[in-house]
Amino acid sequence: MLLPVTFPILAGMVLLLKKEFQKRSALLFYVGGVLVFTAAAALYAIFGIREGVTLFHLTKTLPVYFKLDAVGRYFSLTLVVVWVLAGFFSFEYMKHEKNEKRFFGFYLIVFGVLLGLDFAGNLITMYLFYELMTLTSMPFVLHTQTKESIMAGLRYLFFSFAGAYMALFGIYFISRYGTTLNFTQGGVIELSVLQEHSGLFLVVTFFMLLGFGVKAGMFPLHAWLPTAHPVAPGPASAVLSGIIVKGGVLAVIRVVYQLIGVSFLRGTWVQTAWIALTLVTVFMGSMLAFGEPVLKKRLAYSTVSQLSYILFGLAVMQPEAFSGALLHVSAHAFIKVALFLCASAIIYRTGATRVEELRGIGKGMPVTLWCYTIVSLGLIGIPPASGFASKWHLAMGALDSGIAVFSWLGPVVLLISALLTAGYLLPVTMQGFFPGEGFDASRFENKEPSYQMLVPLLVFAALTILIGLAPNPITDAFLAFAAQVM
Amino acid sequence: MNAICLFLVVLIPCAGGILVPLVPWKKRSHMMVYLEGVVILNSILVWTLLFHRPDEIFSLVDFTGNLTIAFQLDGLGTVFAGLVSFLWPLATLYAFEYMTKERHEKMFFMFYTITYGVTLGISLAENFLTMYCFYELLTLVTLPLVMHTMTREAILASRKYLYYSIGGAAFAFIGMIFVITYGDSISFVLGGVMNAAKLADGKNLFLLIYVFSFFGFGVKAAVCPFNSWLPQAGVAPTPVTALLHAVAVVKSGAFAIMRLTFYCFGAEFLRGTWAQYLLMAVVMFTIVYGCSMAVKETHLKRRLAYSTISNLSYILFGVLIMTPLGLVGALSHMVFHAFMKICSFFCAGAIMHQSERHYIHQLDGFARKMPKVFAIFTVSAFALIGVPGLCGFISKWNLATAAVGSGNILSYFGVAALLLSALLTAIYMLGIVVRAYFPAADFDYETIADVKDPNWKMLLPLFVFAVAIVGFGLCSEPFTNLFLAVAHGSF
Repeated sequence: MLLPVTFPILAGMVLLLKKEFQKRSALLFYVGGVLVFTAAAALYAIFGIREGVTLFHLTKTLPVYFKLDAVGRYFSLTLVVVWVLAGFFSFEYMKHEKNEKRFFGFYLIVFGVLLGLDFAGNLITMYLFYELMTLTSMPFVLHTQTKESIMAGLRYLFFSFAGAYMALFGIYFISRYGTTLNFTQGGVIELSVLQEHSGLFLVVTFFMLLGFGVKAGMFPLHAWLPTAHPVAPGPASAVLSGIIVKGGVLAVIRVVYQLIGVSFLRGTWVQTAWIALTLVTVFMGSMLAFGEPVLKKRLAYSTVSQLSYILFGLAVMQPEAFSGALLHVSAHAFIKVALFLCASAIIYRTGATRVEELRGIGKGMPVTLWCYTIVSLGLIGIPPASGFASKWHLAMGALDSGIAVFSWLGPVVLLISALLTAGYLLPVTMQGFFPGEGFDASRFENKEPSYQMLVPLLVFAALTILIGLAPNPITDAFLAFAAQVM
Repeated sequence: MNAICLFLVVLIPCAGGILVPLVPWKKRSHMMVYLEGVVILNSILVWTLLFHRPDEIFSLVDFTGNLTIAFQLDGLGTVFAGLVSFLWPLATLYAFEYMTKERHEKMFFMFYTITYGVTLGISLAENFLTMYCFYELLTLVTLPLVMHTMTREAILASRKYLYYSIGGAAFAFIGMIFVITYGDSISFVLGGVMNAAKLADGKNLFLLIYVFSFFGFGVKAAVCPFNSWLPQAGVAPTPVTALLHAVAVVKSGAFAIMRLTFYCFGAEFLRGTWAQYLLMAVVMFTIVYGCSMAVKETHLKRRLAYSTISNLSYILFGVLIMTPLGLVGALSHMVFHAFMKICSFFCAGAIMHQSERHYIHQLDGFARKMPKVFAIFTVSAFALIGVPGLCGFISKWNLATAAVGSGNILSYFGVAALLLSALLTAIYMLGIVVRAYFPAADFDYETIADVKDPNWKMLLPLFVFAVAIVGFGLCSEPFTNLFLAVAHGSF
């Protein structure tokens, strides 16, 4: 269980410190080998290991402790699939970027750090890897070293640390009053203690939600995301937007469902405020995406909006919405990574970044655009693609929750946002395949990327359909999980 | 061991230092070997003392009545003496290399070594009077070090340093008089020596005196509004700034405040009074103020100096929680911050020594030219920010849990101040790191072609500090246990 966490981190460091490889193929062989080996070890840990492992003690009361539960397994499985596929995509893509060795070094390190985050069995371990995630993923944002990307990197750092420290504020209180820091279904603080200090704990929880919400791009601390994600190299923006933001979601689940406890939070002003913030974010993200002309930025705004779908599902604190939210975690991960990879493939082959430049692109890159279209349908929520199932559960859960106003307002906002999603994603498809009469699409001819890029795209498109057709194993698992924590 | 050794460790560096300008050295290297030998020998003696503690008191001079100059090694003194004696040999080694580019070496090393003895005197003082004497001496022997370059700027800075320190000591003196008059003795006793019967009628007056003497000692610990001497004193050579203005001098201030609070007035007496709240508010303000100024500052060493101001107030905040756990937090930050800050200062010094660049905007792309120094600087930056796994996290954790555990509402805000300051720390430290590792894409490395890593004399101390930062972070339990024992008086 420690192997998949430590091995890629060490391998990445070795890569960073090593001299340049003689041949590019040697570098790729090294990176590919580490990725595959780590993935295999991680899969073994995910499916094979039930008991927890303590690595060492930071202090007497703060062990670094790994243990997988249903949520951890699910997040890490999603992570492994995406990381390996996006890694293979970047073998081709990174040809046209400088400093490849540095990129791949950090790509491996972040892989290990994220696995550590998903495997974490207590709060302090999670916090440790959460901080490391920020620090080690920052080089992705800085990679191109333009003025824009350096500013974006610093902004990313500033927001992430602000969030982490808001969360740390809460961690101090939980460690003071909680019986343990291990994640425990239903919470670790005695209800009587919570009620005695209810004002304090509500404030603290709210801080933690805002703090961890930073990574998930929740309003009002979302502003870093649309600047930081698009400036990274293509595959890095994909994993930033598809996977790393989920670190925030995971942390929120841990705090709300496994540390503070739903029974204490339900019906309080914290829940109300949280739901309101997520709905504002959903709507705002979609609107901004709708108005954004640069494709990668548009996708980043879309991430802001979609992540708050997940947070909304968590905020409702109702089993069905909970399972919908978790289904959306992997659905959105696969879709968003695929969308970013499509955008990168287009940039790689044609250099086009703005949406209006993509007119007629379907003539030259039909497979890429088909993948784009399929996953877009998933994000909008058209059956049979995966987004439909998750949004269905989200809406049904919200309607069923009995929270005043939000029980109907929530689904309405989700629907409006879905409409906007169609509005900002589909024009690319339509203009791409139907550029209009007399349009000269010759500059896109034979621009279809190589199989190294196409295979990951096709796999993601297939996964989107697959989850859409058979979402029940996932939702059932999380309904069972929800029954334990609520 | 014999108690006279307590005095010897103070005497040896002082005598050894005075000899430096008197002996006609044939070669510079002879002086280096001699000095390093004296310092290492003394440190070995100190550490032997720490492990074989003499129980009795060594009293040197008896004035009238109960006024004596006396030395003793108790728990708190152990921590400070251990810290100082670990850092001094390394800093001396570094100074040899650094001072090759400065003049008046002999004078410099004389005072530098004497300061070692004086600082040990503060940490080993048995009573208030002894500590006060060494505290005043510390000001006087470090003054020439600040003045060293003899530029106009340096002279102004040293004048300011003198006025502030002497003024502060005067306030501390008032405190001493009251402790002598109203205490049962002037020795340091955990829990305080104040006589309850004598205190009964003038509680507010005593609190006022406490506040005065807190600020008096607080001058050296750069508490707001008496902080402005510290960034200015950064004109001194880097070994001075790093060791004295990040550890020895400023922590003597913090150490004196610990003595004053826990060993003279007594935490029981002070807890929950207006004095505690007032000072806590001041300290919290200093924490945030120091960091904000650091963010604004563009001169590398001055930025680190502002960071020191903020971090010293972390220590004072721990003291002001006035619980044993608070003292544990304060002690752990005193020790761990010493390593982090001396490490980052030495990196700054190495950069200045190798490249003559003093401002942060000149450091673009340096990481490729000085990979070792910047790797270590990055470690110290992460530690100062409080990344888990490094020692800064542990001390902040101890401070914050003590604050949360005290149940004092104001200290909750103190936790918020700590976190805000951590965020600002991330900005001002990582701003440098990002610049050095990720210069703008069109950056021309030719402009810094002559820059390279320094030699082993500079790198060895840096490396030791970096290992210590990681080591303390991963394995802090023995230290926390030691601090707990100190704070509960069982050591």
